[in-house]
Amino acid sequence: MRKALLWPAAVACALFAGASAGADSELVVVPETSHVDITPEFTGADIKAFGAMGVAGDLIIKVEGPEQRMTLSRQIRLGPFWIGGGRVRVTGAPGLLYLYATQPIASMLAPAEREKFGLLLEEVPVRIEPQLLADAAKDWRQAFFRLKEKENAYREDDRAITIYGNRLFVADIQLPGDLQVGTYNLETLLVKSGKVVDRHTSHFEVRQVGIERWVSSTARRSPWLFGLLFTLAAMLLGFALNVIFHR
Amino acid sequence: MELFLPIAHIDVNIALILLYGALVGFLSGLVGVGGGFLITPLLIFTGVPPIVAVSSGAAQMAGTAAGASYVQWRYGNVDVRMGAVLLIGSWLGGGGGVYLANYLERGGQFGNVVIFLYVVLLGVIGAGMLVESIRAILRRAPVAAEGVPSARRSLLQTIGEWLPGQISFPVSQVRMSVVVPLALGGIVGALTSLMGVGGGFIMVPVMIYLLRMPTKIVVGTSLFQLLFTTAVVSVMQAGINHAVDPFLALVLILGSIVGTKWGAHLSVRLPAEKLRLILALVVFGVAVKMVMTLVTPPADSYALSVPVR
Repeated sequence: MRKALLWPAAVACALFAGASAGADSELVVVPETSHVDITPEFTGADIKAFGAMGVAGDLIIKVEGPEQRMTLSRQIRLGPFWIGGGRVRVTGAPGLLYLYATQPIASMLAPAEREKFGLLLEEVPVRIEPQLLADAAKDWRQAFFRLKEKENAYREDDRAITIYGNRLFVADIQLPGDLQVGTYNLETLLVKSGKVVDRHTSHFEVRQVGIERWVSSTARRSPWLFGLLFTLAAMLLGFALNVIFHR
Repeated sequence: MELFLPIAHIDVNIALILLYGALVGFLSGLVGVGGGFLITPLLIFTGVPPIVAVSSGAAQMAGTAAGASYVQWRYGNVDVRMGAVLLIGSWLGGGGGVYLANYLERGGQFGNVVIFLYVVLLGVIGAGMLVESIRAILRRAPVAAEGVPSARRSLLQTIGEWLPGQISFPVSQVRMSVVVPLALGGIVGALTSLMGVGGGFIMVPVMIYLLRMPTKIVVGTSLFQLLFTTAVVSVMQAGINHAVDPFLALVLILGSIVGTKWGAHLSVRLPAEKLRLILALVVFGVAVKMVMTLVTPPADSYALSVPVR
């Protein structure tokens, strides 16, 4: 219902912005919403980005999440057993990286051009800690990208953008349930005959709200206070439930 | 209904966690064991990181034990002097365990250690109980000396008299070296931090059969010790390892309180040896499942996760 009302408004907004910006820019994109709220029931969000382009061409929309520090672990075989065989920290990589396009990107841009604009999924500058020998680090890097692509956090999609009348477009951004909190960049590139002719950047915010936010921020910022308060609360709850149930 | 656990960083089904809580409460109502040994493996099988499973289990036990130990306190079943000495031991052991868990988690070895400890502990206990309860059912006669402390002094009693630092515990009607309850508390506290168990399965038999304390006092005192050990371990696991998931612990507490009532109802109708067989099968089953997870090749040998810290 909410979305049905927003649609025409957003398109009008995009059109207006496109018309006014038309003189110096060929491209404008407006995300449907400036923020996505994560509640305990959050299972993902489907947000649309509306846009207009001054000249007809191909489009690439890069959705890039904030940096997410992750742990990558490996199981190794020891005799008949599979046990944890070490772990590394992965930093510097965005939690989410979507490359939406109107055609397969490889057919639009040369590899050098793709690299220049950060349009290669596996060229994200990840850092593996602790420092490892080049060969060992390569295994971990490959595993990282493979897993990110497997869980659909890194992906390329050439069907998510719909163009209307060569000028207007709508991109359908499907965000998963386990979203990293922070600022998400939405970079749109207009491509004509193998060259990026214009680009536009906008962003939206993913934030936690309600008790979820309070819990994770308190548990991280003042872990001792959180532990003390929560343990006392658990004891009180247990005590109260016991009184109620065993009267 | 799915619930996102903010610390464990995974989605879980609330009904499933409630069921785990109820199952553990049910067992504790039925046979009188705490059931922490069951919660940790079940949570690990569900995908909760081992350190979060162990830490949230401690918080859950603090909650569940709060009500039960108050009742024991009111009945005068708590030997406060014994409880205090045990607590000093278990706080030291539990605190050391939390730091050890932190060290192991940093190196990525905590999961291995937990699973190894569980396989050994549950395998040994489960197999022993299984043999014993099948024998009891086959004979259909009370096993001699079972449940009746013999008149001979146990080895631990002799050691307790020989070690320095003798104190008498009038409520428990025993006199021994302070070292014995300190060490007992220390072992149980370390198990709370490393395995998320209350340790009643060690504490209770040692106090009844080896220290020859009155059963009533043993139950009250071990609950008292359990409450304050798990509470302190829970605070420390949150403070040092950031690993206590509040939603997980609360749902487990809710489930376990309901389950306890249920189990207590059923326990008066089922014969004791059948109850022990049920428990033995459950313990043994969890141990087998643990071994299975160790020998089954993982679907993907690499795994990505959001760090707990």
